[in-house]
Amino acid sequence: MAIAREAEPVGSLNEVREAGLDREDLLGVYRNMLITRGIEERGHILYRQGKIPGSFYTGRGNEAASVGVATAMGAQDVGTPLHRDMGVHITRGVEPWRIFANYMGRVDGPSHGRDGNVHMADERLGMIAMVSHLPAMLPVATGCALAFRIREEARVAVGWFGEGASARGDAHESMTFAGTRELPVVFVCDNNQWAYSTPTHLEFATEHVADRAQAYGFEGVVIDGTDVLAVYREAKRAIEKARAGGGPTLLECLTLRMEGHAVHDDAFYVPKPMFERWAESDPIERFRTWLCDNAELTDEEEGEIAAGVKKLLSSALERAEESPLPDPATLLEGVYATSEDLDTPHHK
Amino acid sequence: MATETAVDVVMPQMGVSVSEGTITKWLKQEGEQIEADEPLLEISTDKVDTEVPSPASGTVTQILVPEGATVAVGTKLAQIGGAAGAPAAEPAPEPAPAEEAPAEEPVAAAEAPAAPAPPSAPAPEPAAASSDNGRAFVSPVVARIASEHGVDPSAVPGTGKGGRVTKKDILAFVEGGAPVQAAPAPTAPTAPAVPAPPAPPVPAPVAAGETLPGETLEPITAMRRGIADHMRRSLDTGAHVTSAIEVDMSRVVKTRERLKREYQAAYGVNPTYLAFVAKASVETLRDYPYVNAEMRGDSIVTRGFVNLGIAVELAEGKGLIVPVIRNAETMNLLGIAKAIAEIANKARNKQLVPDDVQGGTFTITNPGGYGTFHGTPVISQPQSAILGTYALVKRPWVIEDELGDDVIAIRPLMNITLTYDHRLVDGAYAGRFLRDLRERLEGWEGDES
Amino acid sequence: MAELTYLQAISDGLRTEMRRDKRVFLIGEDVGVYGGAFKVSLGFQEEFGPWRVIDAPLAETAIVGGCTGAAMMGMRPVAEMQFADFISCAWDHLVTIAAKQRWRAGTPVPIVVRLPSGGGFSGGPFHSQNPESSFAHIPGLKCVCPATPEDAKGLLISAIEDPNPVLYFEHKHLYRRIKGEVPEERYTTPIGKARIHREGSDISVITWGAMVYTAEEAAQQLDSDGVSVEVVDLRTVLPWDKAAVLESARKTSKVLVLHEDTRTGGFGAEIAATVAEEAFEDLDAPVKRIAAPDTPVPFSPPLEKAFIPQVEDVVAGLRALAEY
Repeated sequence: MAIAREAEPVGSLNEVREAGLDREDLLGVYRNMLITRGIEERGHILYRQGKIPGSFYTGRGNEAASVGVATAMGAQDVGTPLHRDMGVHITRGVEPWRIFANYMGRVDGPSHGRDGNVHMADERLGMIAMVSHLPAMLPVATGCALAFRIREEARVAVGWFGEGASARGDAHESMTFAGTRELPVVFVCDNNQWAYSTPTHLEFATEHVADRAQAYGFEGVVIDGTDVLAVYREAKRAIEKARAGGGPTLLECLTLRMEGHAVHDDAFYVPKPMFERWAESDPIERFRTWLCDNAELTDEEEGEIAAGVKKLLSSALERAEESPLPDPATLLEGVYATSEDLDTPHHK
Repeated sequence: MATETAVDVVMPQMGVSVSEGTITKWLKQEGEQIEADEPLLEISTDKVDTEVPSPASGTVTQILVPEGATVAVGTKLAQIGGAAGAPAAEPAPEPAPAEEAPAEEPVAAAEAPAAPAPPSAPAPEPAAASSDNGRAFVSPVVARIASEHGVDPSAVPGTGKGGRVTKKDILAFVEGGAPVQAAPAPTAPTAPAVPAPPAPPVPAPVAAGETLPGETLEPITAMRRGIADHMRRSLDTGAHVTSAIEVDMSRVVKTRERLKREYQAAYGVNPTYLAFVAKASVETLRDYPYVNAEMRGDSIVTRGFVNLGIAVELAEGKGLIVPVIRNAETMNLLGIAKAIAEIANKARNKQLVPDDVQGGTFTITNPGGYGTFHGTPVISQPQSAILGTYALVKRPWVIEDELGDDVIAIRPLMNITLTYDHRLVDGAYAGRFLRDLRERLEGWEGDES
Repeated sequence: MAELTYLQAISDGLRTEMRRDKRVFLIGEDVGVYGGAFKVSLGFQEEFGPWRVIDAPLAETAIVGGCTGAAMMGMRPVAEMQFADFISCAWDHLVTIAAKQRWRAGTPVPIVVRLPSGGGFSGGPFHSQNPESSFAHIPGLKCVCPATPEDAKGLLISAIEDPNPVLYFEHKHLYRRIKGEVPEERYTTPIGKARIHREGSDISVITWGAMVYTAEEAAQQLDSDGVSVEVVDLRTVLPWDKAAVLESARKTSKVLVLHEDTRTGGFGAEIAATVAEEAFEDLDAPVKRIAAPDTPVPFSPPLEKAFIPQVEDVVAGLRALAEY
């Protein structure tokens, strides 16, 4: 029995304008989705060429959910995206070459080789680097919101988590705290229906993760995560509500994880029909179709955008490959912070 | 982009615990062209089967691993561009082998000299050590072994850092014939003692660690092992011969009775028979330097001094130790008596320091405390002789009276032995030493103080 | 006897116990349908069913806390943390309840928590740690770290048998790389007893886990220097075999403690302090430790190589000790 509200799809360009995006913005959204996918596809190749050490995780199928939410964030807002949320990094302005450098453990990746995959964040762009203990980011996001509340700043924190991570106590505690204090935090659940090999019914017993929001005293919304505009609209509502002092919202973006948990997992446990059905709902394809139908996207325009993305990624990769591997002599640096480290936007 | 320089294709790691992969199919052959990112081969691992895209455009110049082969992650599988048919990737550079090892050899080498001849620097002069900074440092285990065996670490050749003595060095030294250790008879704290064991017979053929009914096992302590090794080595080194002489100690007895009270009252010292014998021996050694000498390499070392070792039995039968009275030739009877009392006391109270048991040139042992009248002590290497004193026994003795006739008198007799190294000391020489010693003891003037 | 990889030996031990004792069950993330992230329980759910091979939610506290409750009710739970690093999420339950219940309330908690630990493959800070020292500090817990396939099976069986909470650190880097002879029958390896991996007379290396092999390689190089190195595989970190370590220390008089965990407060510190305290008069050199530096585990290969003690680091340490 569902409690959460189900989001409406976005119909027309006008509706979109009402939600705050014009045509240019929409093309930018499309481009960001292409870049997101392009980086991850290239990453697969790099991994199998032995150029990416460790393991490799992607968020194929989550491009709309990630780009959609990030597009709704304000410049001063902060977020804790996870490994399926490459689109957040791209939308917020992280340069692709730095992402490749991070994948490859090079000095110019945001983590300078100390952590891999998307365990990285450029805090100037308002992001906090994730950990592998995924739900642990939720109390952190809630804490950011707490700071904004205390200082009465019109800023919002966005905390991402998967449906698997919803099972841990961190999720409960964060939402309890955020709800009781009406903190300006938006919880975004990337429900891609598989936590490694564990299906949703073993992670939560309600119909939706978003059904729980009511238990914490705020609204929960279930959204078709492959519809970037629907995601955007709901995210915008929730973020602005929080900014205005209206407290948290739990957004659940429903998608399917289109690849294995990581590159070494072939997801044999996912029924093939599931892949087939969701492949028909590919976020990028959907949006391209919508743009053609509702925003008069021409083949030419589309071709230009695609070519531009290809060129961008190609030169990004070249640049990343020139970035050196870290010097072992630097290993011990920075275990402890100094006062200089406090000279950041967040601490002003 | 096409590559002129060689680009390696390696087996990727498909997952954290994956350590190898199998080539299932080559999609290109040597000599064929390939584009960057185009699939080059298919592989199978524990986790997944996948394609490996080419890292570069160009000619496949080498295919190094055949289909069906399983190789470790990171193995070079093929090469794009560069020279064709080059041999497989050079093996990883080997770690530098034992060439820099010679530094370790001295440890083994230190054992060698210890074996044939006694260590070349047992004498108290500081050995020709490398840098003395390290030599001054004695590690806990070396200090313990030194104290247990009565060895002065500064006399041990050191092969450790800065020339310090290592555990190996001191153990080798102890086994190789530490000068102190060969003391034969254990002695009771003051005077009389226990017979010296001659070369002990080899134990019965029962296997080590096993017992026959009625037998018990106890472990061999470090000290016992040290004594055992030293005794064996000493007998294998010196050509042990023992000559004995009987000494009429009447005058000594009388003198002692007179001095005893005086010494006790004034100096708190008991002049023992041992002190008298020691004093007389030290004087006699002046005339018989070879009995106070050492064979060192190709030379014979004689001395103008006597560092007199006195064998002392340790409490609870723990073993024996031979503290040394340095420069005994400078002491009178009182001095020697005091020195003997002092070292016996220190030995009894475990207060001996390595310096106390180091550098002896001649040793006296006193097995006669339990009534034995003869023995054949073992020389304390690298000395060349050891004197044994035995029970003072009243015997009927033939003496000449005032008229020059033979009469029988009751006399206190002491048997004294000199066990000497016949490589250096000949029988006649030893005999003369004993004769002179007897003369001194029998002719004791008694006005010493 | 069969030749098994370290991973297969773990599976074998677990399977043996699950067949023998119905109270034994496995719970963890992705252990059922998927067979476990590393495939330790591949085929287990088919054999034992979904209520003995349980796919848990992403909830380490619920997993460990749940095992504690089940154990109190007579079960013999085996929890799998997908990575040892996630044990931090279950810290509270392990330390507050599982470790203390027997001592303060007389209730034993016979659980086993399996912890795929260790690095060496760019796993990064959260997939590579060796957290044994934190738990070695908690009275009431036991911590075992097998290095060989034979010990992996025997120690797992002993851990399951043990009425106390046992943390079983299985080193990921050994899973498929190490093979060995493993008896086919059920057997136990005693918890708390070290094993002499390699006899020697000049230096003792005290170590465990994957570092046993690093020490072995280093010892081989020292052979050609004429230095005989003894490698003691501790096998259990808590309670550790003090007698065996002291015996080795007294024999060689030179001790090197080696572990992959970071240096400060790593378990090697406890060993070094004990050797210095109880074998002082047998030491011919200071007790040395080689461990990872005090940083999180880095991701990029050159950094990780500088972090994890390498064979050449151990060789250098041994040579320095030999020359002391």
